[in-house]
Amino acid sequence: MDQISLQQQEQGTSLWKDAWIKLSKNYLALFGLGILALLCVISILTPWIAPYGYEEQNLMLGATAPSLEHWLGTDIFGRDMLTRIMYGGRVSLTVGFIATAVALIIGVLWGAIAGFVGGRVDAVMMRIVDIMYALPFMIFIVLLMVVFGRNILLLFLAIGAVEWLTMARIVRSQVMSLRKQEFVEAAHSLGLSQWTIIRRHIIPNTLGPVIVYTTLTIPSVMLLEAFLSFLGLGIQPPQSSWGLLINYGVETMEEYPWLLIFPGITLSLTLFALNFLGDGLRDALDPRTSKD
Amino acid sequence: MSYSSAPKITKANSADYSFLRANSVKAVATLLLLTVLSSCGGGENNVSAGNRSGILHWGNGTEPQSLDPHIATGVPEHKIIVALMEGLVLKDSKTLEPRPGVATSWDISEDGRVYTFYLRENARWSNGDPHNAHDYVWSWWRALQPALGNLYAYMYFPIANAKEYYEGEITDFEEVGVKALDDHTLRVTLNNPTPYFLQLLDHYSLFPVHRATIEKFGDADQRGTRWTYEGNLVGNGAFQLSEWKINRRVVVERNPHYWDAGSVKLNKIIFYPIENAVTVERMFRAGQLHYSGTVPADKIAAYMERKDPALHIAPYLGVYFYRINTRVPQLQDKRVRRALGMTIDRDKISQRILKGGQIPAYTITPPGTMGYYPKSDLAFNPEAARRLLAEAGYPNGEGFPATEILYNTSEGHRKIAVAIQQMWKKHLNIDVKLLNQEWKVYLNSITGLDYEIGRAGWIGDYVDPNNFLDMFLCNGGNNRTGWCNPEYDQLILKAAPEAKTHTERLEIFNRAETMLLDDMPVIPVYIYTSNNLVNPSVKNFNDNILNQPSFKEMYLKADQADSGAKN
Repeated sequence: MDQISLQQQEQGTSLWKDAWIKLSKNYLALFGLGILALLCVISILTPWIAPYGYEEQNLMLGATAPSLEHWLGTDIFGRDMLTRIMYGGRVSLTVGFIATAVALIIGVLWGAIAGFVGGRVDAVMMRIVDIMYALPFMIFIVLLMVVFGRNILLLFLAIGAVEWLTMARIVRSQVMSLRKQEFVEAAHSLGLSQWTIIRRHIIPNTLGPVIVYTTLTIPSVMLLEAFLSFLGLGIQPPQSSWGLLINYGVETMEEYPWLLIFPGITLSLTLFALNFLGDGLRDALDPRTSKD
Repeated sequence: MSYSSAPKITKANSADYSFLRANSVKAVATLLLLTVLSSCGGGENNVSAGNRSGILHWGNGTEPQSLDPHIATGVPEHKIIVALMEGLVLKDSKTLEPRPGVATSWDISEDGRVYTFYLRENARWSNGDPHNAHDYVWSWWRALQPALGNLYAYMYFPIANAKEYYEGEITDFEEVGVKALDDHTLRVTLNNPTPYFLQLLDHYSLFPVHRATIEKFGDADQRGTRWTYEGNLVGNGAFQLSEWKINRRVVVERNPHYWDAGSVKLNKIIFYPIENAVTVERMFRAGQLHYSGTVPADKIAAYMERKDPALHIAPYLGVYFYRINTRVPQLQDKRVRRALGMTIDRDKISQRILKGGQIPAYTITPPGTMGYYPKSDLAFNPEAARRLLAEAGYPNGEGFPATEILYNTSEGHRKIAVAIQQMWKKHLNIDVKLLNQEWKVYLNSITGLDYEIGRAGWIGDYVDPNNFLDMFLCNGGNNRTGWCNPEYDQLILKAAPEAKTHTERLEIFNRAETMLLDDMPVIPVYIYTSNNLVNPSVKNFNDNILNQPSFKEMYLKADQADSGAKN
């Protein structure tokens, strides 16, 4: 059998196409995808569709419960909560995606290289991870922020730069188990370069756990952002994010519960959506599941 | 006392989020959260346990910066230091009249310039060493060492030659007006009759320190030595330091060597550095604390409504203001500073944000201090402010550089800053950013003039307009604005002390204050009220306008009605 006919045989179902077919049968995952897409679209369009300005105060109005003018109520400064949540979503989703992307890229590459090359390289790389683990991550982020200045983009990068450690470990353990398998040996014997093997064979096989972990990372970096902002290292008022809104909401949850409930619902919804989508993607993308 | 760190926020809140991360913050936060939650579980809480064993649980705001009375400047530090140390004269906890402290009695010469103090024979340090007049001479010598960096050195300036000595004009401490005539007699000579001098003696900057301890751990004028640490500190107060765990708690125990040990009723006081007003209020309600010095603004209404006896609202001799760093280019012009001051809508801030009966402030000195009612032409006037800003070269706020408001981390300060930020944006069209820092970092930034506009609070150390106005002397340690006006200094330092009558003196203060407000290196925002939460089992807790607790008088006794936790 020559190479061309082999390719033709395989053409019908690529990994991605296959995955999409499977995903589209998973309604929960589709629902998650829909919610996420909706939130992203709203966030992008916020400056044009928000009913009020996010810093527009009306102190005489103060905190009011949801009403026709203010669907989700107002905070103690008389600012519209719907608007605040919409603007908060811009920050939260951006930090969620960018920081996670940074963590993903560093973590997967680091883990894959360590796991695949093994030996002394692996030992050195993993000890670096261990050392980073041992560093209190807050101090590390604070240090990064102090050195590079307070800047939202840098905040995203800094969070990403400390969130990749677990990812690297997960990927490494996956790779360790994969690299001894027959198809990798086959790839070796076909004369593929190490890098091509990592890229074409190893990484796609680790996608399952990576995706699950990614969907967990996104909400956790959103909350981390809130914590940092709270310490004065992240975004500053009057800007806001979901984490910060929840943070402020907690302070007055007995008097003005809507200040906690609505941002809470929004964040939980995002979290659920991410988890459903993540679950669906893991099932869909796992190359080891049979193709039928 | 001074810098009020007032309502707060910080690490405690992280408990709500950190569960997602495995790290050390989590451990601490969870612990805190558990402390709070455990109280709901039905076990005995701190308050009822404390009532039985005489342990007072005191929510103290921020972690103290230092317990060295010649270095500390803040209110949280003050509360701990007054438990550990004592001056020559105390204040009555209700009327603030002078009461005998280490001195049993004193004579004042006819011209009001020479004070002779007769010290107790039985005064002792907490390690049992005899405590006598020489301790004061040495302590005050130490407090005036420039290397010590005592921000309160100017409290000594009424004493003859103290200022000259501090500024290096004379080098012989013998010439300063303080002398131990014998072991138990101390004579203090003043520059001028100073009506508030006895009040000063109850301020920690004039407290005595234990020479042997300080010299054991470093030089007399060395900052930050270990002498204030747990196990080292020796004081002369009703209590002694038994434990100081950073960010956890400070514990003081009854001092058996205290001259009045017999009348001290509490066995222990535990000070908790909990910054978050919401957390601290929750802990209070859960019966984990006897006292909280802050109440979240949004909760005050609820307490008032149900007439909760725990809520103490009282006039408080303190002003909340914004410092302006007058060395920052865009803030050098006094017209800009005036414009900023004129566009803060203080009524709205008091009524809609603070909600605790605070009075809008248009002067730095709280009106009514010793009969002083300063006149002020400061008012909320956006139109005039816009004109001033235009004259200064920023018509409609155009070209005004982004300026930052610095505040110490706390939701209370944040709320005010957010409101003011928006007021300036709305009325002047200028962009202001907010920056929050942790208490100690914030104090460093302010002291080092490393800020643009900074939130500040000043709580009276003694009841006299002088206490508010001498802050802004050219070399005043607490000036921190870069503002300096020799004419102002002259009024405060020369003219006022030499005034013949009380009215004339107040008149001079008013002239100085007008000068200060005209240049506006500081923007007054509101006059404090003290909002305390005090468990009804705490007896002899007296409200006074300095909000000074008298721990030696307090005792704990659970009434039948409130013996159970108020969950």
